[in-house]
Amino acid sequence: MGGSASQLPRDLLGEYQELTFLSKQEILLAHKRFSELLSKEERESILQKRVPKSQILTLPELRANPFRDRICRVFSTSEDGDGSMSFEDFLDMLSVFSDSATSEIKSHYAFRIFDFDDDGTLDRKDLEKLVNCLTGEGDETRLSESEMDQLIQNILEESDIDKDGTINLSEFQHVISRSPDFASSFKIVL
Amino acid sequence: LKGWGLGQRGRGEGQASPMMLLDGYNFFLYISPTEEKLIKNLASMSSRERVKAIQKTPKTMKEKRDIRNKVLMEKTKKSVSSSIQINCCTQCLYKTALSYQQFKNGLSEYLHLLQLWQKTLKVIGGKFGTSVLSYFVFLKWLLTFNIFSFLVNFSFITIPQLIASEPNNLPFNGLELLTGAGYFKKTVLYYGFYTNSTITKTENNSSYNMQLAYIFTIGIYFIICFFSLVYSMAKSFRKNFINPQTYSGSAAKLLCIWDFNITNEKAVKLKQSNLRTQMKESLSEVTLEVLNLSLKQRIARIAVHLLVWMASLGIAAACCAGVYFLSRNNLQAATLVLPIVVSLLNLLIPFCFALFGLIEKFQYPRHQLYLLLLCRNVFLKIAIIGILCYYWLNDVATSEKEVKFCSLMCTNLCHKTHGQELALNYFHIILSKHQEICDHWRIRCVKGDRRFHTFLDFLPCLFFSCRIGIFFAPLMPAMQIISFFIIFYVKKVSLMRNCQPPRKVWRASQMTTLFIFLLFFPSFTGVLSVMAVTIWRRTPSKQCGPFQGLTSIIDAVSGWIHILDSYSSSKWVVWIYYNLIGSVHFFFILTVIVLIITYLYWQIIEGRRIMVRLLHEQIINEGKDKMFLLNKLRTLQTSKPDPPKEQQEVSSKAWVFLCCSHSSDK
Repeated sequence: MGGSASQLPRDLLGEYQELTFLSKQEILLAHKRFSELLSKEERESILQKRVPKSQILTLPELRANPFRDRICRVFSTSEDGDGSMSFEDFLDMLSVFSDSATSEIKSHYAFRIFDFDDDGTLDRKDLEKLVNCLTGEGDETRLSESEMDQLIQNILEESDIDKDGTINLSEFQHVISRSPDFASSFKIVL
Repeated sequence: LKGWGLGQRGRGEGQASPMMLLDGYNFFLYISPTEEKLIKNLASMSSRERVKAIQKTPKTMKEKRDIRNKVLMEKTKKSVSSSIQINCCTQCLYKTALSYQQFKNGLSEYLHLLQLWQKTLKVIGGKFGTSVLSYFVFLKWLLTFNIFSFLVNFSFITIPQLIASEPNNLPFNGLELLTGAGYFKKTVLYYGFYTNSTITKTENNSSYNMQLAYIFTIGIYFIICFFSLVYSMAKSFRKNFINPQTYSGSAAKLLCIWDFNITNEKAVKLKQSNLRTQMKESLSEVTLEVLNLSLKQRIARIAVHLLVWMASLGIAAACCAGVYFLSRNNLQAATLVLPIVVSLLNLLIPFCFALFGLIEKFQYPRHQLYLLLLCRNVFLKIAIIGILCYYWLNDVATSEKEVKFCSLMCTNLCHKTHGQELALNYFHIILSKHQEICDHWRIRCVKGDRRFHTFLDFLPCLFFSCRIGIFFAPLMPAMQIISFFIIFYVKKVSLMRNCQPPRKVWRASQMTTLFIFLLFFPSFTGVLSVMAVTIWRRTPSKQCGPFQGLTSIIDAVSGWIHILDSYSSSKWVVWIYYNLIGSVHFFFILTVIVLIITYLYWQIIEGRRIMVRLLHEQIINEGKDKMFLLNKLRTLQTSKPDPPKEQQEVSSKAWVFLCCSHSSDK
């Protein structure tokens, strides 16, 4: 831990503490784990490098998560849209998933993760993909057509307040606010 | 149209489809106050608020950094241009605030190092999910609380006593570790050992009044207990307010049901299959309310329910009677019998109740059944402990009259209570460990959640008995700390061996709220009442303990107030004691004020509820308006193919105008 601490300058550490919800130990731990994803030569310039998505997904905290692709895509600021993450993207992700993040920001990012086509609302296709992630991707684990339709109908009935057939961010946040377990389950800790 | 979407963060104005513009929040971001206005807003806040506001914005790190730098530049511009003379006062204040902040940061860093079981909790969360994790987190909270109470008691009561203690020449054999009597009678573990004198250090003139120290330490400890319980309970209630609406509508919960804590692949697959089963069940569920029962069936159902309740109450009463008679006849017999019997009862009777639960399983949904079981178990435990307390308190009084057995009684008076306490503690742990092992063989993986029924039932009892015992055995928290450690490891091992996480997520946060409430209401208030009776009504033992020779324990405090009366500088203490603490009027007025404030808050909540309903209706109406306007626009556009470009611009501006009016209404 001492080696990586000397590589992250103090003022940068302070800045990260101000801009994210992470504490000093969490930032240092993130730095350590991120540098382990890079090869030895690249570790010198850790702040400029981008780690490809496949590498990020080898982290044990993300490996088994059904939403791992979406998480990488949402937090990545890469111009190519390939899901590669820089160290600051990584910190952004950990900040949103940390213990001290507010419920609003968690629900905002949860909305973006579930918005599979990135159009700003959750329409039927998004909900279908969400349900498939929840039940498993295999053929035998998916729900049948009619069950899926019925389920999505139920979801829309209960959460779509303005009845436009999609769930927007406010409606999503309204549903989330009625579930007190959300903040503690929307957490990834290194 | 390339969707604007949230995927293109901070890319400026892209092409937006009309649908997006009408969406409330997205609209706000699209034509949000320009960056200038945002920065102006942030610059006017204090630095702490500014940091929090920047942390909360859902933007990338780079954007947040840009905003922060711009805000800092704005602030320096403002302070340069406006040449305000910074008061030396505000400068001092600023410096103290800064140093306090740094101190807090440093402290939190050190506290972080002391975190217990960090890795274990993470592994448990990764394999079994948040609901199971919350139980262990709660156990950790109880443990830290006990460490705190141990430190308080140890430093203020035990250390002075240790300085002035007499040598212990009683024999020691191994049995004492189980019974807690014998050798341990003359150690600091028990109330009887504490002297009633004032301990003086020979050189200085400062003396330490043991009686006052004892009362005040225990008193302050209880006050801190009370406030921390109330605070946690309030915090928990506010976060997890049990909204009756959440019980209906199970489909929308799918939006927030995935547990990101789970990192084990097998656990993930298991959770997915559980969710699938849940979804299928909820789709094909026939709710009980929909069933139209015939009158006969309804009567039969109620009759079964009543029968089961009668049986449970009868068993509880029988247990209490048994315990009472056993304790009466136990004066000369071995001290181990009573604790063993009580512990066995506490462990076996819940199984009987669970069997009854099987009969009722078909009538109630699972969570209600669980609550019923919990109620019955808590009631049983309260009854047994109540009987024991009654026996101990009365026994202390009646034995005073037995002058013949003075020496024997002395030891019994002071030590019997806590000897049995200790033994009770031990036996709970040992037998629960056995039960875990039996559980493991008997109950297979599917019923994993049953385990935590017993887990929950067990803890209030333990916590409760410790608090009673603390007056007579000040180092009881140390015992509890050891027992919590053992419980943690026993539970962890049994959990790891159990291959599956619980089938249905038990609404962990609501369970935690309920549990803290249980800790407060029967547990803590019961302890307070027992303590009150002990301190105000019962005469303390004449031969041992720090209150020898007084007619009641509270006389120590009144005696001290009398002494203070003679000093003129402390007359205000005397005044407070007589006019505030000792008077009924003061508490009456306080109660009335608290009741009024509660009533006002209740009315405010009612008003807000009405407001929520009205806003809900308003949103529905606006949605209908939106649909209507969209349809109109569509028909307009289809009826005029290829409109000129200016008209397109005009119509999109019209959209913007409509959006403005809609959003401002909201």
